[in-house]
Amino acid sequence: MNGDTSPEVNRGFAYGLHQSLTIGIGYAPVAVTFGILATQFGLTFWEAGLMSFFVYAGASQFIAIEMIHQGATVWMIGLTTLILNLRHMLMSLSVVPFFPERTLPWSLGLAQGLTDETFVLNSRVLKDVGGEENRRHVMLGINLGAFTSWFAFTILGSLLGSWLPIQFSGFQFALLALFIILTMTSLTKKNTMTYLLAALLAVVFKLFIPGKIYLILSVGLAAGIGAWWRQREQPQ
Amino acid sequence: MPIQFMETILLMTLATYGARVLPFLLFKGKNVQGFVRDFIELVPIALLAALVIPELVTPKGSVEIIHNPHLWAGVLTFLFAKFVPNLFMGIIFGMGVFWGLDKLLQ
Repeated sequence: MNGDTSPEVNRGFAYGLHQSLTIGIGYAPVAVTFGILATQFGLTFWEAGLMSFFVYAGASQFIAIEMIHQGATVWMIGLTTLILNLRHMLMSLSVVPFFPERTLPWSLGLAQGLTDETFVLNSRVLKDVGGEENRRHVMLGINLGAFTSWFAFTILGSLLGSWLPIQFSGFQFALLALFIILTMTSLTKKNTMTYLLAALLAVVFKLFIPGKIYLILSVGLAAGIGAWWRQREQPQ
Repeated sequence: MPIQFMETILLMTLATYGARVLPFLLFKGKNVQGFVRDFIELVPIALLAALVIPELVTPKGSVEIIHNPHLWAGVLTFLFAKFVPNLFMGIIFGMGVFWGLDKLLQ
């Protein structure tokens, strides 16, 4: 290679990798936090690493360690992950038209790296890249950069977490604090009613129904009622 | 590594990868609209409510208001996050306040 090729002329894997830097930097502190909390909540270094490698979905992973900690069953955790990550199907649906000629290996590979963040970046970047072959390489670069950061910094965090000698009672609140901050950054006028409804239903169900089933029940009902309400508001 | 944890990872992987890969494999040119789309979009915020609020209001299985460090640490963390929307700072704040209130109220 003779120096930098102009990005307008040839955008490929390296360009995607370079674009992924912002996500990689953004993932680092969250992944370190995940590694520390996972090990503080009883997972081993290997378990935290495996989860980041295979599951690779930030919010679901935090929720899973909270649910494991609360004693939820495997099926409950699986089901919760499924309904939470149905949104990735929407993102995948909207990225797929960039690759009308895709082959099976490319489909399997490109789908692996689709997260909230890589979806946003890919949607923005891919529309300025000509040629499907180039777009595949750019997306692979973006996805791989983000994934590498998530995995590597999880490992770093779990090493830190397993070396931390302190027994600090504040740790049991760490995940709740994280969810509260996520809540405050995701609440909008359009979803506040669903949030309040889910909160109320969850408290009532938790008091009267044994086990962790209250999570799925309240989420399914609240999201269902919220969606039904939106449809009523704007018919069509 | 316990078998139960392996099962958890397996199911979670099927759920996340399945949602990501199915459109790549099956897409025919139509987008999801209407009730299903709204439902999927509302699930994350509903799940945040279901995970957090019961833990704050009923940490030990019954409604507890006054001597409940979870509740007050939660309220303060909500307020903090409103003004400082930073993940790391918020976690540090929440843990610190919980630790203090836990000492104070019990």
